[in-house]
Amino acid sequence: MLEAHGLTKRYGAFLALDHVDFQVRRGEILGYLGPNGSGKSTTVNTIVGLLEPSEGSVTLDGRSMTRDPVAYRHGIGYVLEEPHLYTHLTAVEYLTLVGRLRGLPESVVAEKVPTLLQLLLLWDSRYNTMTAYSKGMRQRVLLAAALMHDPDLLVLDEPFSGLDVTAGLLFRKLLGMFAAGGRMVLFSTHRFDIVEQLCSRVVILSCGRIVAEHDVAALMQPGSPSLEDVFMRSTGQDDFAPVARQILDVMQLR
Amino acid sequence: MSHPLAAPSSISDRPAWRLSAHFFRALFDFGVLSAAGTDSLKHMFAGAIGGFVASAWLMVIIYVSKYLGLWFQPSPEPYRRALLGDDMFMLGAAMLVGALVTLLVSSSLFPDERDFRILGVLPVKRSVIFGAKLTALAMFVGAFIVLTLGALLPLFLLTTRNPWGEHVFAARLLAWLVSSAAAAAFAILTVTAAAGLLGLMHSSARLQAIATSAKSVALGALVISVPFVVRLSDMGVAMASGQTWLLLVPPAWFVGLERVLTGAPEPWFATLATVGVAALVSVALVVAAIYAVLFRDFERLVLRPPVSTPARAAAGSRRLSKVPPSYLAVRLFAGATLRRGALQQGVLVGLTACGVAVAANGLTGSGWPGAAMWTPFAMMFACGLGVRASLALPIEHRANWIFRVTEDHDARADQLRAVNDVATIWVVVAPTAASLPVLWAAIGARAVIGAVVVGVVGLLFVHVVLLDWRRIPFTCSYLPGKRFIAQSLFVSAGAYAVFVLTGKWILQTTISSTVGAITLISLGSALAYWLRRRRLEAWTKRPLMFEDEFPDALMALHLWQ
Repeated sequence: MLEAHGLTKRYGAFLALDHVDFQVRRGEILGYLGPNGSGKSTTVNTIVGLLEPSEGSVTLDGRSMTRDPVAYRHGIGYVLEEPHLYTHLTAVEYLTLVGRLRGLPESVVAEKVPTLLQLLLLWDSRYNTMTAYSKGMRQRVLLAAALMHDPDLLVLDEPFSGLDVTAGLLFRKLLGMFAAGGRMVLFSTHRFDIVEQLCSRVVILSCGRIVAEHDVAALMQPGSPSLEDVFMRSTGQDDFAPVARQILDVMQLR
Repeated sequence: MSHPLAAPSSISDRPAWRLSAHFFRALFDFGVLSAAGTDSLKHMFAGAIGGFVASAWLMVIIYVSKYLGLWFQPSPEPYRRALLGDDMFMLGAAMLVGALVTLLVSSSLFPDERDFRILGVLPVKRSVIFGAKLTALAMFVGAFIVLTLGALLPLFLLTTRNPWGEHVFAARLLAWLVSSAAAAAFAILTVTAAAGLLGLMHSSARLQAIATSAKSVALGALVISVPFVVRLSDMGVAMASGQTWLLLVPPAWFVGLERVLTGAPEPWFATLATVGVAALVSVALVVAAIYAVLFRDFERLVLRPPVSTPARAAAGSRRLSKVPPSYLAVRLFAGATLRRGALQQGVLVGLTACGVAVAANGLTGSGWPGAAMWTPFAMMFACGLGVRASLALPIEHRANWIFRVTEDHDARADQLRAVNDVATIWVVVAPTAASLPVLWAAIGARAVIGAVVVGVVGLLFVHVVLLDWRRIPFTCSYLPGKRFIAQSLFVSAGAYAVFVLTGKWILQTTISSTVGAITLISLGSALAYWLRRRRLEAWTKRPLMFEDEFPDALMALHLWQ
C-alpha cells in the first residue's frame, strides 16, 4: 500500500501542498483530480521521488521514501504528462538505458525491450531517433519504460494526452489488468470520463488540500451527484457559461 | 497599443519583418541553457569581448612596430611583400570568422520541419516564410561582415598609411572593403551551401547523425586551420612571385580581387580575382538553387519518412552480461550523445582541434624535432578541456528525471566509472596514439617508451580532468562563466604551461634513460591506479549533481592592498 501522511511542500512562502493524506491500496486505481495549480503535479513529483517533501512521509509497502529511497523508488513506475525523453536516442536505446538504470540483467533487457516495442506498436520505428516520434508514440515509450522493472505502483500524470483511440483503449485495459493483479495505480488526470470508467476511488484536490474523497461506484448510483458536480462543488468552480459567452464575444470582434 | 488585427502601421509591424526578426534571433539561440545560464553567458560574452579588444591592441602594437620598420627600408619591395602577406592574413581571418560563426548556426539556415509544422497552419504564405528566412540569413551575413571589417579596420589603416604606399587611400579602402566582404560572403555561403546540400540529400533521421558529424569535422578543420591563417602574413613573397599553388588558397583569390580593383595591371592578380569571383558566384548560385528546390518541394523534402537504421545498442550479449548494468547505461548514453548531440560533439571536437592546431603549428614550424617532445601534452591538455566541457553540457535537461528516479548509491561508482573510461579514452588513448608516429619520426624506436610515458602522464591527468566531478554526462544544467573570465583564462594558461613543460621534461628525461623510464612508468602507473581507486570511492559517498551551481565562496580581490 502507498501511504502519504501530512504531505506538505513549500516553495518559499507559497504552500503548494498542505498536509495531504491519502492511501492507494493494492488492487486499486486511485483517481487524483484537481484544477490546474491545485497541487496534482507536485504530489506526483513528490511521490515518485523527484521532489523532497517539506513535511510529511510517504511509504510504499512499508519502505520509506526518505529512509530507504532506493528500495522505495524501485517499486514505482512513472508516466509523465509531458513526454520528456532523450529524443536523440532511438526507442531501443532509450528502453535499454532505462532497463540498465533499473539494474535489470542484460538478458532480461534483451527480452523485454523488443517484446514491449512490438506490443506497443513501436516496432517499425524502433531504430528511429525519437525526434521523429509523435506525442502519442513518446507516451507509449514512456509507458514501456515505466513497466520495464515490474513495478508495484504505477504513477500516471495525464497519460492519455496525445494517445490515439487504439492506444487509449489498450492503455485502459492494461491499467485495469495491472491493478487487478494486486498492484496499485495513482492516476492524476483532468478527465472525469476516464476516472469514472477506470478508478475505484477518487481524491479531489484544491489549493493544495484534499477537499473530497469518494468511492467512484457510489457516485455512479442512480440519484447520486455526478463526479463533475462533486468536483465543481468541492473546488468552488462557478458556472462557466458567462465566461464562455464572453470568449465568443471576443472571438467575433472585428 | 494597436489592435492585433489592425493593419500594420510601420515596417516593423509587418508579419514578414517580424518573422525575419524571429529567424534572426533564432540564429543565436542554442537552446541548451536555462534562464540563469543565458544570463551568465551574456556576462561571459562581455568578458570575452574585453579579452578580444585587449588582444586586438596587442596586434596593433605588433603591426605598428613591423610597419614602422618598413618605413626606413631603402626600396618599396619589402613593404609591398609585407602588405600582400598581411592583406592575405586579414582576408583569411575574415573568412575564418565568417565560416566558424555560420557553422555554429548552420542548423537554422534553411526552413525546416519545425517551421513547416508551426507556420504551415498559420495564414502565412510559403513565400513569406522563405523570404523571411533569406532576409534573416542576409542580416546575419551582413552583421558579421560589418563586425569583422570593423575589427580588422585598425590593422588595415596601419598597413596602408606608409610612405611606400602605391595607391590612393580612398581607392584602396574601397577595394579592401569590397574584397573583404566578398571573401567573408564566400566563406559564409560555402558553409551555407554545404549545410543545405546535406539537408537535401538525407532524410531527417539519418541527417541528424550525418549533419552532426559533418559539422564537427568542418569545425575541427576550421580550428586546425587557425595557425595556418596566422601564417598567411608570411606568404607575401610567394604571392609577389606569382606561385601557382596559391590558386588553391581562397584568401589569395580575394587579394587578387583587391589588387585588380586598385588598378594593378599584373595578369597574376587578374587570374586570382577571376577564380575568386567565379567561386563566389558559384556558391551563391548553389545556395539560391537549394532555396529554390526547398521552396518548390518543401513538404516532400522536409517531411520525408525517416530511414530506419539498426542501432548499435545490442542488448543481451554474453560479453555484456558480466558488466554492471549501470555502467553500461552510462556508456550507452554517453556514446549516443557524443555521436548525435551537435553541441556536445562540436565542443569536444572544437577544443580538441585547438590542441591539434597548436601541435600542428609547432611541428610544421622551425621547432622540429624538439616540438615532438611537447606536442603530445598540448593535445592532451586540449582533449582534457574538451572532454570535461562536453560532458558537462546538458542535452534535454528535463529528460534527466529518469536518472534522478533511478539514482542509487550502490550503482553510482559504476556509473561514474563509465565517465572515467570515456575521459580516459579521449584524454589518454587518443593523444598517445596520435603522438606515437610523431615521436617515431623524431626519436626512432625509443618512441615506444615515449608513448608509454605519455600514456602514464595522461592517466594522472585524467584525475585532474575529473576533479570534483559528480555528474552523469549531459544530465546536469550548465552555468557558463562561473568564474571571472580573466581569472579562468590565466588559470588555464598557467595550467597549460605547467602541464606541457612538466610533461616535456619528464619525456625528455625518461627517453634518455631506460632505468629512469621504467621507474617513472612503474611509479606513475601505481599513483594513477591509487588515484583512480580514491576517485571511485569518493563517488560512492557524494550524491549526483543535476543542477549546476555558482561557487559558494565570494572571491575577494583585495584591490586596496
